[in-house]
Amino acid sequence: MADSYSGASPEANAAADGFLDDQTLKYLGVGLSSLVALGIALLVLYILAVQVDYALIPTILPQFINAYVLVLGIVVTASVLSVTAGIFVGLARVSKTSITSGISAAYVQFFRGTPLLFQIFVVYFGIPTLWPGTFPISNWGIPTAIISLTLNHAAYVGEAVRGGIGAVHDGQMEAARSLGMGYVQAMREVVIPQAWRNALAAVGNDQIILVKDTSLLTVIAVPELIQQFRDVNSATFDPWTPLVLVAIAYLSITIPMGRLVEYLEDRADWGGDSQ
Amino acid sequence: MSDAIRSDDEGRTDGHALLEFDHVDKYFGETHVLKDVSLDIQNGEVCVVVGPSGSGKSTLLRCANRLEEIQNGEIRLDGRSISDPDADINRLRQRIGMVFQSFNLFPHKTALENVTLAPRKVRGIPEAEARERAEELLADVGLLDQADSYPNQLSGGQQQRVAIARALAMDPKVMLFDEVTSALDPELVGEVLEVMRGLAADGMTMMVVTHEMGFAREVGDRIVLMDEGRLVESGDPESFFEHPETERGEQFLSKIL
Repeated sequence: MADSYSGASPEANAAADGFLDDQTLKYLGVGLSSLVALGIALLVLYILAVQVDYALIPTILPQFINAYVLVLGIVVTASVLSVTAGIFVGLARVSKTSITSGISAAYVQFFRGTPLLFQIFVVYFGIPTLWPGTFPISNWGIPTAIISLTLNHAAYVGEAVRGGIGAVHDGQMEAARSLGMGYVQAMREVVIPQAWRNALAAVGNDQIILVKDTSLLTVIAVPELIQQFRDVNSATFDPWTPLVLVAIAYLSITIPMGRLVEYLEDRADWGGDSQ
Repeated sequence: MSDAIRSDDEGRTDGHALLEFDHVDKYFGETHVLKDVSLDIQNGEVCVVVGPSGSGKSTLLRCANRLEEIQNGEIRLDGRSISDPDADINRLRQRIGMVFQSFNLFPHKTALENVTLAPRKVRGIPEAEARERAEELLADVGLLDQADSYPNQLSGGQQQRVAIARALAMDPKVMLFDEVTSALDPELVGEVLEVMRGLAADGMTMMVVTHEMGFAREVGDRIVLMDEGRLVESGDPESFFEHPETERGEQFLSKIL
């Protein structure tokens, strides 16, 4: 920002501000940022060099790897299901049938309006009691994880898709219909591909949040990553070694996901940025 | 233009006009926007609809392929009702090409894909055949070299010519043009009108809403004047522009010429 103005007339700016001209502001910014970066780097270095117990890693790595694989499995399943369901939630939301759009709106209100932790409890503790007789699934934690993450994130994806559809110009539907396409065909061929691009950033953001939301599953004892931290920490009183492994595990999923979203956005470029 | 613009022939126009508006009334809420409009467009005729803004001319055009519903009267294509709630509108619309003021090309499809989409998906024409036909049409509108460009890589005039090719790809019996040059830079208007002139010369039936009076006079077989939802005057261009029959016609011409 400072850079784009500094070329014009620093003197005039200095005169207007009294004491801070753009050039000074720029140096101040660079100086402060460097200081902060240096501080963080030193802190990380200190943790890695002094706090982390490398001898402990071989012992705890297997359980972290198991947790990592489990989290990946839950994420992939819940991601596919929540995006698919979310597309239908979004489509239902823009439906001309008021009962369909009403149900979709209520769904979004509920699942976006209550905490995920609450939803996890409803599925984990609530559902089995509704079963007539003994609940047949013994390891209910992982199914709970997939169900609650899917239901919760389908609401957010649904909102993103609704917004994406709303941003497609009405003329697109008219043009498709005037060529003889039916409503469903026009949605599929013309509106949804454009809505999808509009929604991509928001959906990607939500799916990254889904990855991090798996950490809540520790409260129902699903052996995910935070659960491993708690195990190791309570046995060794060493926080930093398991914390560093947890950070690496999450980032190794979320950073590539961010890249994937960018790639998908670039691919849906259609010859330029704007119409 | 070449024979790429075929006209297809399950339809003969024996005894009736190709496109008929029969005592049409249209309301937007309380507003009465089309008042008892009757108009017959014959096979091969170029009917140009003119009139001040808000006179209902675009609405009338949009009713012709049921982008707007009418409340009274009937609209027929080749004797078959378009306005009947039970009409197979998707089928009828394939026979009615529409070109919009704002082009409405599909931005996620190349020019060629814009033209092949409906033939492939609606008609089920094989890809190769649809492509060949689309290339003929793009060549006709002078854009074969832009076949693989996306709409936002094209100028407004080029986009509108692709939009015309897209509509022609369904082999329509009649083409509707809704102020197709109004959103264009002045220097791009000519290339679009040129394509329309070629279509008219090839015998395409056309209903054209426009403010381009030069074009109306030169290409139109008939000029229809609308005002406040009514069809106030209808005649051949010569008599309409030289000696309008109505006072409203005279007023309109004195303002625009």
